[in-house]
Amino acid sequence: MVEQAEDSEVRVRLRGKEMSLAVTEEQAARMKATARHIVREPFTKRPWSELGFFLVSGGLAGVGLAFVGITMVAGVALAITFFGLAVLALSIRSARGFGGWNRALARSMLGEKVDDPEPFAGRRGFLGWLQSSLRDRVGWRSVGYLALKVPWAILGVFVALSLWWDAFACLLRPFSGSNGGGPPVWGLVPNLFGSDFFWFNGPPQGFLHGLAVFLLGFVFLFAAPWVMRGFVNVDRLLIRSLLGPDPMATRVRSLEQARTQTVDASAATLRRIERDLHDGTQAQLVALAMRLGMAKEKLEDTDDVDLDRVRELVDEAHRGAKEAIAELRDIARGIHPPALDIGLEGALATLAARSAVPTDLSVDLRTRPTPAIEAIAYFCVAELLANVAQHAQASRASVSCAQQGTWLRLVVRDDGRGGAQLTTLGSTSSGLVGLTDRVHAVDGRLNLVSPPGGPTVVTVDLPLSP
Amino acid sequence: MVGALRVAIAEDSAILRDGLVQLLVDRGFAITGAVGDPVALRSSVAQNPPDVAVIDIRMPPTFTDEGLRLALELRERYDGLGILLFSQYIETRYAADLLADNAAGIGYLLKDRVADVSDFVEALERVAIGGTALDPEVVTQLLGATRRTDSLSVLTAREREVLSLMAEGRSNAAIAGALVISEGAVEKHVANIFAKLDLPVSENNHRRVLAVLRFLES
Repeated sequence: MVEQAEDSEVRVRLRGKEMSLAVTEEQAARMKATARHIVREPFTKRPWSELGFFLVSGGLAGVGLAFVGITMVAGVALAITFFGLAVLALSIRSARGFGGWNRALARSMLGEKVDDPEPFAGRRGFLGWLQSSLRDRVGWRSVGYLALKVPWAILGVFVALSLWWDAFACLLRPFSGSNGGGPPVWGLVPNLFGSDFFWFNGPPQGFLHGLAVFLLGFVFLFAAPWVMRGFVNVDRLLIRSLLGPDPMATRVRSLEQARTQTVDASAATLRRIERDLHDGTQAQLVALAMRLGMAKEKLEDTDDVDLDRVRELVDEAHRGAKEAIAELRDIARGIHPPALDIGLEGALATLAARSAVPTDLSVDLRTRPTPAIEAIAYFCVAELLANVAQHAQASRASVSCAQQGTWLRLVVRDDGRGGAQLTTLGSTSSGLVGLTDRVHAVDGRLNLVSPPGGPTVVTVDLPLSP
Repeated sequence: MVGALRVAIAEDSAILRDGLVQLLVDRGFAITGAVGDPVALRSSVAQNPPDVAVIDIRMPPTFTDEGLRLALELRERYDGLGILLFSQYIETRYAADLLADNAAGIGYLLKDRVADVSDFVEALERVAIGGTALDPEVVTQLLGATRRTDSLSVLTAREREVLSLMAEGRSNAAIAGALVISEGAVEKHVANIFAKLDLPVSENNHRRVLAVLRFLES
C-alpha cells in the first residue's frame, strides 16, 4: 500500500510496520506516470495491434513452416536423387520469402526497424543456383525463425486471449446469479490446473467472494496487454536476430569496406609521395645537375674562363643541393617519422614542441602500442595540430594520449573559433580524410566536437593492438 | 642559320624552368615564352611562334600527359614547329604516339639530359631544324622489348651501337663523333645494317629513325 504524503514522502506499510521512504518529486511524478500508463494500456490501440500482428504473422509463419517443413522433408527423403536437392533448395529459398513477409509485417504493424538481409546472390547456371540456395545463410536463418516463431505465436495467442477471456469472465461472474451461470473462467490458469482448482472458478459464494473475483478480473484485464507485450518483444528479438542482416555478413562487409579504404589510402599516400619526389626533389636535382653541367663546360673553355659566372653557378648548385636535402628529409619524415623509433611519447613531444600553437602534452601509456597504431596516432596528432595552426585561430592547444583498457585514446583540444566539420577539415587538408580511413581500418573511431565559438575537441580511439 | 633559334618552354616546376631559361640564354637561344601550363603555352605559341617548343609531359591540371596531348595538337596546327618533349620518365608508348607517322622535328628526352649541356643543346638544335632526338633510354627499351632478337643477333657489336645511335636520330657525322671512328666507317656500318635487316635505305636521318623503330616494334 502506498500513500503519498504532502512532503513528497511515501510511507509504506509493510506487515504492520511503517517505514518511510524519501522520494523526490521527480520520482513521485515518474511513479504516477507509470501507474497511469499501466491503467490506460488496455484501452489503447497498441495491445490490439500487437495481438493482430501476432495472429497474422503467426498464421503466416504457420503456413510457411508447414510449406517449408513438408518440402524439406520431401527434399531430404529424395536427397539421393538430384530432384531432392532441388526441392530442398526450393524449400530454403521459400523460407527466405516467408521470412521476408514476416519482416515486412513487423515493420508495418509494429514499426520495428529491421534492415533487409543481404539479397540472394545465386551463382551462374542451375548448379550454381542450387549450391547458393542450399548454402544461403539467410534462408537457413529464416527456417530457424519459422520453427521458433510458430510455437511461440501459438503460446502467446493462447495466453493473451485466455487472460482477456478470464478478465471478462471474472468481471461478469458476480452478476451472473447464484447458480453459476455466465461465461466460465476457463483460460490458461484453470486449464492448466483443472477447473475446480481455483477458488474463483466455482459459482459465487457470497458477497466477498464475488468482490474478490470481480477485482481479479481487473488484474487480468490490466495484465493481459503487458503479457502480450512480453511475447511480442521476444518475437521482435527473434526477428532482429534471425530475419535482419547476418551479423557475420555485416562484419565481413564492413571489413571489406575498411580494406578498400586502406588500400585506397595507401595508394593515395604513395601517389602523394611520388608527386612530392617528382615536383620537389627530382626537379631540384635536375636543376642542380644542369647548373653543374654549365659550370663544367665553362671551366673546359680554358682560354677564357668566366670565373664570376662559374662561381655564381656553383653557388646556385650548392644552394639547390641543400634545398633538395631538406625536401628529401621532409618527404622521408612523411613516410615514417624517425621520432617514432624512440616511442610514441617522444614523437608526440617533438610534434607538440614543433607546433605553431603552444601545445600542452600529457601521455599516460603503460603498454606500448603496435608500430602500426603508433604511426596512426602520430599522423593523427600531426594532422590535427596542423589543422589547429591553419584554421582554428587558437591561442593554446592540448594533446592527451592515454591508455583506457585495451584502447588508446587521443584527445586534441584547442581554444579556437570552433565550427569545424570533418568534411570541411577534409577539404582543406586531404590528410584528414585519409586519416579517418586509416583509423576506421583498424576498427578505431574518430569523433569531432566543434561548436561555433569553440572549443574544438577531436577524440581518436585506437585499439592498442589491432 | 639566320639569327638565334627561338624556343618556347612549358615546364611547371619553376626551378627547372628558370634553370632552362638561364641555360638556353647562356647558349645564345632566344626565349619566346617560358610558362607553367598548357593553356599559357598555347597562347604564347600563337602570339610569338618559336622554332621549337620544349614541353614537360606532366603539367597541371591533372599532372598526367597534358604535355603530350598539347604536343600532338601543336604539331597538327603549326607546320615545321619542332617539339622536344621533356620528362622525368620514359614511356615507350608516348614515343610511339609521337612518332606515329613522322619523326621529323620530334624529340623525347629525359630531363636528366640537361646535365650534359652540349648534348642537350645539340639535340634541341636537331629538333628545331626538323631532325629527331630520341632519348637513349627509349632506344634501349625498344631494343630490350623487341621480338626481333634473332634478326639483331646477325649484327656485330659495333653495328648494334651504330643502330642505337641511329635510332636516337643522330647523323652519320654525330655517330662518328660519338664512337670516335671515321664517317666513312659509319657509312659502311649503316649500309651493312640496312642490308642485314632488309630495311629501305634512306639518306634522310628522321626517315632512317622511323625505319629502325618500325623494325623494332614489328
